Amino acid sequence: MSILSYNGSAIVAMAGKDCVAIAADRRFGIQGQTVALDFQKIYEYGPNLYMGLPGLATDVQTVAQRLKFRVNMYELRENRKMKPQTMLSVVSNLLYERRFGPYFVEPVIAGLDPKTSKPFIASLDLIGCPMITEDFVINGTCAEQLYGMCEALWEPDMSPDVLFEKVSQAMMSSCDRDAISGWGVVVHIIEKDKVTTRTLKARMD
Amino acid sequence: MIPTFGQNATATPKQAHFNPYSFNGGSIMAIAGDDFAVVASDTRLSEGFSIHSRNAPKTYKLTDKTVLASAGFHGDVLTEIKVLEARLKMYEHEHGKKMSSQAIAAMLATILYHKRFFPYYVYNIIGGLDEEGKGCVYSYDPVGSYEREVYRAGGSAGPLLQPLLDNQIGFKNQQGVEKVSLSKDKAIKLIKDIFISAAERDIYTGDSLHLKVVTKEGVSEETFPLRRD
Amino acid sequence: MVTGTSVLGVKFDGGIIIAADTLGSYGSLARFRDCPRVMKVNECSVLGAGGDYADYQHLKAMIEQKVLDEDNLNDGFNYTPKSLFNWLTRIMYHKRSNFNPLWNTLVIGGLQDGEPYLGYIDKLGVAYTNDTVATGFGSYLAAPMLRDGLEKNPKMTEADAKQLIDRALRVLFYRDARSWNRYQLAIVTKDGVRIEGPLSSKTDWSVAHVAKGIQ
Repeated sequence: MSILSYNGSAIVAMAGKDCVAIAADRRFGIQGQTVALDFQKIYEYGPNLYMGLPGLATDVQTVAQRLKFRVNMYELRENRKMKPQTMLSVVSNLLYERRFGPYFVEPVIAGLDPKTSKPFIASLDLIGCPMITEDFVINGTCAEQLYGMCEALWEPDMSPDVLFEKVSQAMMSSCDRDAISGWGVVVHIIEKDKVTTRTLKARMD
Repeated sequence: MIPTFGQNATATPKQAHFNPYSFNGGSIMAIAGDDFAVVASDTRLSEGFSIHSRNAPKTYKLTDKTVLASAGFHGDVLTEIKVLEARLKMYEHEHGKKMSSQAIAAMLATILYHKRFFPYYVYNIIGGLDEEGKGCVYSYDPVGSYEREVYRAGGSAGPLLQPLLDNQIGFKNQQGVEKVSLSKDKAIKLIKDIFISAAERDIYTGDSLHLKVVTKEGVSEETFPLRRD
Repeated sequence: MVTGTSVLGVKFDGGIIIAADTLGSYGSLARFRDCPRVMKVNECSVLGAGGDYADYQHLKAMIEQKVLDEDNLNDGFNYTPKSLFNWLTRIMYHKRSNFNPLWNTLVIGGLQDGEPYLGYIDKLGVAYTNDTVATGFGSYLAAPMLRDGLEKNPKMTEADAKQLIDRALRVLFYRDARSWNRYQLAIVTKDGVRIEGPLSSKTDWSVAHVAKGIQ
C-alpha cells in the first residue's frame, strides 16, 4: 500500500461567487484502524488563506509547521500579507526541495486575494507540481469519489450558503464510499470579511 | 559448484513475460424502480491510452426480463456471455421456460466462482424484473460474491458514480427529504447526468451512453452521445 | 522470433480491404522482405495477421485444412467471416487461458450476408468488430487517419478506400521502424476475394534535409 494512503484523508476546495470553501474529513487512522476523530488537516495561514494537507499524518504536521515558518518569515520581510498565489509557489518550492525524498502530502490551497478578494483554489502533488483551477480541487484517498460528486454538483457563481451545502454533500457522500476517510467533516466557508467554520457529523463506520 | 563458462552461463533463458489479462475499461450502472430497471454502460473499448472502438456497448440482453452489464477484461466478458447464453438455453430446453432474474443472478455467481483461482476479470451488474414484476439489481465482484440492491455503479468510473447514486437515489446524507419512489424518466435523466460527469474525469469512459430499459413490455434501447476525447 | 508489424482494415461501400506490409522482422533486423501477411480464406473471407510469423503460419495451415474439410463435405455451406471471427476468438482465448498464446493480432474481414464485416482479435482473446481496424503501431498512427477518412466519406468507394489505406501505410512506413514500403491488399467485394500487390506507396523525402542534429 502507498504511504500516501497509510492514514487516509479527503480534502476538497471549491470556488463560489466571491467566496471559497475548503473541507476535510477529521479521521486519523493507521491503515484500517481508526485512532482519532479530531485530527486537524486544514491549517490557517492568514485571514483569508487556508491549506488542506492530505497524506501521511506525520508529514502533514511537519509540512504545516515548516510552511508556517516560511509564511511568517515572508510576512516579516515583506511586511504584508501573503497572497494565495504566492503561497502556492512557497508550497511548491518546499515540496520540490525534497524531490528525491518527498513529504507524502498533496496539499490543497483555498483563499481570497487579500487586495482583490478574488477566489483562488489550487492543488499540488507530493513533489510540488502546482495546478490552479476555476471550479474545484481535490486530493486524498477518496479523490475519485469526490471527483464524481463535485463534477455533478458544482455550478458557477454559488452563494456561500449554496457552496456550503454542495461541499458538505460532496464530502459526506464521498467519505461514505471510502473506508479510510470520514468520521466527521470540517468545512470552512471563506468570504471577504468572515470565515464560517462548521463541523459535520458523519457516519462512523 | 556447477562449472560455468562466463558469468551468466547458469542463468536460465528468460521467457517473455505473459500477462493473460488486459484492462479494457468501461463503466456500467443499473437502477431498479418499482416496475422497471434501467441498465446502462458507455460504449468505449480501450486499452492503455488507445481506443479500440467507440461503439461497443457493455450491456447484454439475456432474456426479456433480464439485462447484464459487464466491464473489465473484454476477452473474459465475451467468454462469460457465451457461457451464460449457453446455460440459459440449456435451462430453457430442460424446463420449458425462461430463467428468472433471481435464478440467473444465482447462476452467474456460481459461474464466476468456478473460476475462483483463475478468475474472469469482469465486473458484473444485472438489472431486470423479478418474479413479482418488481425492478431488481444484482451486483458482483469478479469471483462471484453478490447481493441484491436498488442501484449500483461499476467498472472504471464506478467509484465516481456510486456516491452520487447514494446521494440522489438513496437520499443518503439528506435530511428532511420525502423519499419518493423513482420514476423511469428521472432514473434515465440521472444516469445521463452521472455519465456526463464520469466522462469528464475518467479516460476509460466516453463516446456514447447506451441504455437498456426493462419493463413488463420488454427491453427498449436508447443511446446518447458523450464526449469523445 | 520473426514478427510482422501493423495490419490495417477498412470497410467501404460494398466490401472491405485488409492491408499489411511484407516485412518479416527479426528483432530490429529487417530479415525477410517477402512475407505475405494477408490470406484468402474462402470466396467471402480474408485474414490479416501481425505479431509472430511462425504462429501465423501455423494458424494459416489450420484454417486452410478446415476450409478444405468444409469444401469436401460439398454441402453448399462455407465459413463466413463472422463464423471465422468467432472461431478464431475462441482459439485465441483458449490458447491464452492455457498460458500458451498465439502471439498475433488478427484482422478478419469479408462479406457477411452481403454486408461488409470487419473484426479484430488479439492474443488475449479481446475481440470486436468495427468499421475501421488498426493493430500494433497502426493503432496510434493509422487508426485516427482511417476513422477520419471514413467519417468524412461514409460512402467510400473501393478506390477511395485503397487511397486511404495507401496514405496510412505511407505514414507508418515513415515512422514505424519495423515497417516496409511493400504491401499487399486483401479485398472482398460481391465479386469475390482479390489479393493485390505487392504494391509500394510513392514516398516524398524532400523535407528530409530539414532534419538536422539527429545524425
